[in-house]
Amino acid sequence: MTAVTAGPATAAPLTHRISNVLRLHIANPWQTLITPWLVYAAIFGASLAIWYAVVTASGGRDQIDANAFSTNGGSSWIFVYMMVIAIQAMNLTFSFALGLGMTRRDYYLGTAAYFVALSGMYAAGVTALAGVETATDGWGVGGRFFASWPVGDLPSWQQFLVYFLLAILFVFFGAAAGSVWVRWRSLGVYLFLGAILALGIAWVWATTATGSWGRWAVS
Amino acid sequence: MRVFGESPVENAAVLSRTCFVKESQTYPEGFSGKHVLKAASWAFPEWDEALARDLVEEFDVPLNRRIKKLSRGQRSAIGVVVGIASQAELTIFDEPYAGLDAVARQAFYDRLLRDYLSHPRTMIMSTHLIDEVADLLNHVVVIDAGKILIDAEADALRGASVTVAGVHTAVQQFTGGRDVLAWDSLGGLATATVGGLTAEERDAATRLGLEIHAVSLQQLIIDRTPGFAREGNAS
Repeated sequence: MTAVTAGPATAAPLTHRISNVLRLHIANPWQTLITPWLVYAAIFGASLAIWYAVVTASGGRDQIDANAFSTNGGSSWIFVYMMVIAIQAMNLTFSFALGLGMTRRDYYLGTAAYFVALSGMYAAGVTALAGVETATDGWGVGGRFFASWPVGDLPSWQQFLVYFLLAILFVFFGAAAGSVWVRWRSLGVYLFLGAILALGIAWVWATTATGSWGRWAVS
Repeated sequence: MRVFGESPVENAAVLSRTCFVKESQTYPEGFSGKHVLKAASWAFPEWDEALARDLVEEFDVPLNRRIKKLSRGQRSAIGVVVGIASQAELTIFDEPYAGLDAVARQAFYDRLLRDYLSHPRTMIMSTHLIDEVADLLNHVVVIDAGKILIDAEADALRGASVTVAGVHTAVQQFTGGRDVLAWDSLGGLATATVGGLTAEERDAATRLGLEIHAVSLQQLIIDRTPGFAREGNAS
């Protein structure tokens, strides 16, 4: 089959094509940029309410342990959500991008750039809120949500790095799983997750067998 | 396969000039019609925004409702708007109007033709509703169970076969020695579908008192497809 039209084929420059992919991801900003902060606000608000309730019921902060509110998993949901964003991006948005005449390669480059930017944005946001949290003595009640143990004890730049790398890990894990789903469907995802589990167990087993637990850790 | 003289695989130069509208298109989570049109306007260099707005109005596409909540017909309409407004040099419609009602389909054909006349470009359309699109086509390819059955100019196909109807014996006399594609008889009357006729042959048929009718593209395809017609593809 040959379709002929006048003029040689010329593509827009790579940067332009990649910015098109980026714009595709933020065409509807709610999904990836706005909703997560609203969910954060809701979870944080609930935690704050519980802290105040506990402090009030106990008759003041001096009546409870100093580290009573130092552990909280509420801020970690964003990593799971990043994974969900990536799975949807590799499945639904990918097929839409192909329909718009984007190449797979351009889509991957643009999407990967967006994932890195998104991870940086959330890591920076959470780190900044952790700073506010520390400065306000845990919102006045010693609560630790964004600067939860153990990450909250690190200097800010290390906190940022931990959040950033965690986000990158989850988002690209989601992207990998989503891609496997698009190509090989559920059987592929089972095998993919099974293989990762098997590798993890093999690694634990090898570490135990060689007695090297703790040797690689930076302590 | 080559498009614009190049392999289309992962070829941004070719793909950015190609728009592929399919019935089963999926859309990103949370997208509504306005997001789809916005994204399409960035992706296609020749995008015609004014035309897109005009089409949205004509097909009454709800732009602010989520795609997931749209009816099949409304989703088809969005595909149609993207395909026409993209102005892509190669536009492929894979049954994009499957959810449209008869009135909207006719509007689609009209807009397609009008747009083609002002911006000639290559459009490929796959369809099962052959007679509806027959007048729009330049070239027809019929694929049956993966095999190309017909690959011809539409004009050549239009005159390619006719039915002759009349008294049984006259029809038999006229079709004797000819390739008969289809034969039907009722009482003393008969109808035969035969290949295209020359002017002299038409005169001969008229002298025998036979009536001659052109065969529609759809009927032609049915006649030429062995067994049940399974898949019709026309471009």
